[in-house]
Amino acid sequence: MPVHESEAIILQSYALGEGDRLVSFLSRTMGRMRGVAAGARKPKSRFGSTLERLSHVRIWYFERETRELVRINQCEMIESFLSAFSDYASSIALALFSEITGAVLPEKEASDANFRLLLLATQTVKRTGKCELPLAYFALWTVKLGGWLPSLDRCGQCGQALAANDPACFSPSAAALACGKCRRPGMRLVSPPALSLARKMVAERLDRLQDGVAADAAGARAAREVTEMMLDIIEHQIDRKLVSRELLESPA
Amino acid sequence: MPDFAPSVSRLIDELKRLPGIGQKTAQRLAFYLLRVDREQALALSDAIRDAKDKIRHCSVCNNLTDADPCLFCTNSTRNRSMICVVEEATNIQAVEKTRQFNGLYHVLGGSLSPLQGIGPDKLNIKNLIERLKGGTVEEIIVATSPTAEGEATAVYLSKLIKPLGVRVSRIAMGIPVGSDLEYADEVTMLKAMEGRRDL
Repeated sequence: MPVHESEAIILQSYALGEGDRLVSFLSRTMGRMRGVAAGARKPKSRFGSTLERLSHVRIWYFERETRELVRINQCEMIESFLSAFSDYASSIALALFSEITGAVLPEKEASDANFRLLLLATQTVKRTGKCELPLAYFALWTVKLGGWLPSLDRCGQCGQALAANDPACFSPSAAALACGKCRRPGMRLVSPPALSLARKMVAERLDRLQDGVAADAAGARAAREVTEMMLDIIEHQIDRKLVSRELLESPA
Repeated sequence: MPDFAPSVSRLIDELKRLPGIGQKTAQRLAFYLLRVDREQALALSDAIRDAKDKIRHCSVCNNLTDADPCLFCTNSTRNRSMICVVEEATNIQAVEKTRQFNGLYHVLGGSLSPLQGIGPDKLNIKNLIERLKGGTVEEIIVATSPTAEGEATAVYLSKLIKPLGVRVSRIAMGIPVGSDLEYADEVTMLKAMEGRRDL
């Protein structure tokens, strides 16, 4: 039973038995995995705070071919994000990061791009204390990496270029954006600032994007609109509602 | 052909619903209950029925109690200027074991957990705010778990309560007594340093 070592991000953990934890984590080299950390809930546990949600860690675990769950042996902290959870809005965004990652990635399939995206978005929330733009960026790139992002430049029906100042139309079940002429019942409008922000997000890194996007109410509104559109696509793809999204929409 | 008689299967299924009980453990418990005296087995079912019939939530602090208000809320010797806020009723026992805290309690019924869809409206926060309006409470001690959810709940409560002019404190976090500094991770050590006190 060889011990595996990997860089990982803790997605979620649940109480198990008397003092153990069932931990879901995203390994950089092995993909999403689940394992048991024995005694992790006890005060003198050697795991300490390393198994808190979204902790960036180095993890050691044993894997048996016949067992679905691995046995987590040791965990060392690389970066903790516990302080970012102090803000209520940020804690909801961070919960969405882990819920979405857990929902869209299959078990034991490594995805370095998703790993880097999760880490970058979480680090940005911690550094800036703001969550609108990182959440929109995370949701959009999750959709893009999943291969579900519709063309943001052309109408999926008639093929015409979408005008910069005209709103586009969208519905999660349609795999493409539509122009005003091709709008079908049930489609909702995507404002020009939101569409422009989504195009920038595809082309720019999140840290560079933050300097370019207005940090005012209009910028936050556009980011929220992109988030809503992308979360609709994710929910359509995973065929269920995201639990944390309900709190994102309700006032604190 | 079924593995067990229908009544045994039903017993195993019911036991499996309990937290931390899987198929094997449920089978072991079921066969133990079938092996022991009838009186002993029925004493368990009577105890469950009795507790379910008599135990309810205290209308003041949400603690589990057989008398409403609970013994803590009606005890005149307890300090009414301090309220210790905990996540679950079981946490009260941990604080009481210290024999150092003589104030009142308030049970939130969980912590803010977006992944489980638990927002502020699903916790007992409104009646906590109501308790503070009387003006007798001077300090709230937030004793939520030192986890991401517990921390978010503590900060949320402090933002809500501080404007009411009530002191809000948080239980200390850091190195457990009897452990070795060598094995403390950086977050635990940082919290211990932040929460240091004068000697």
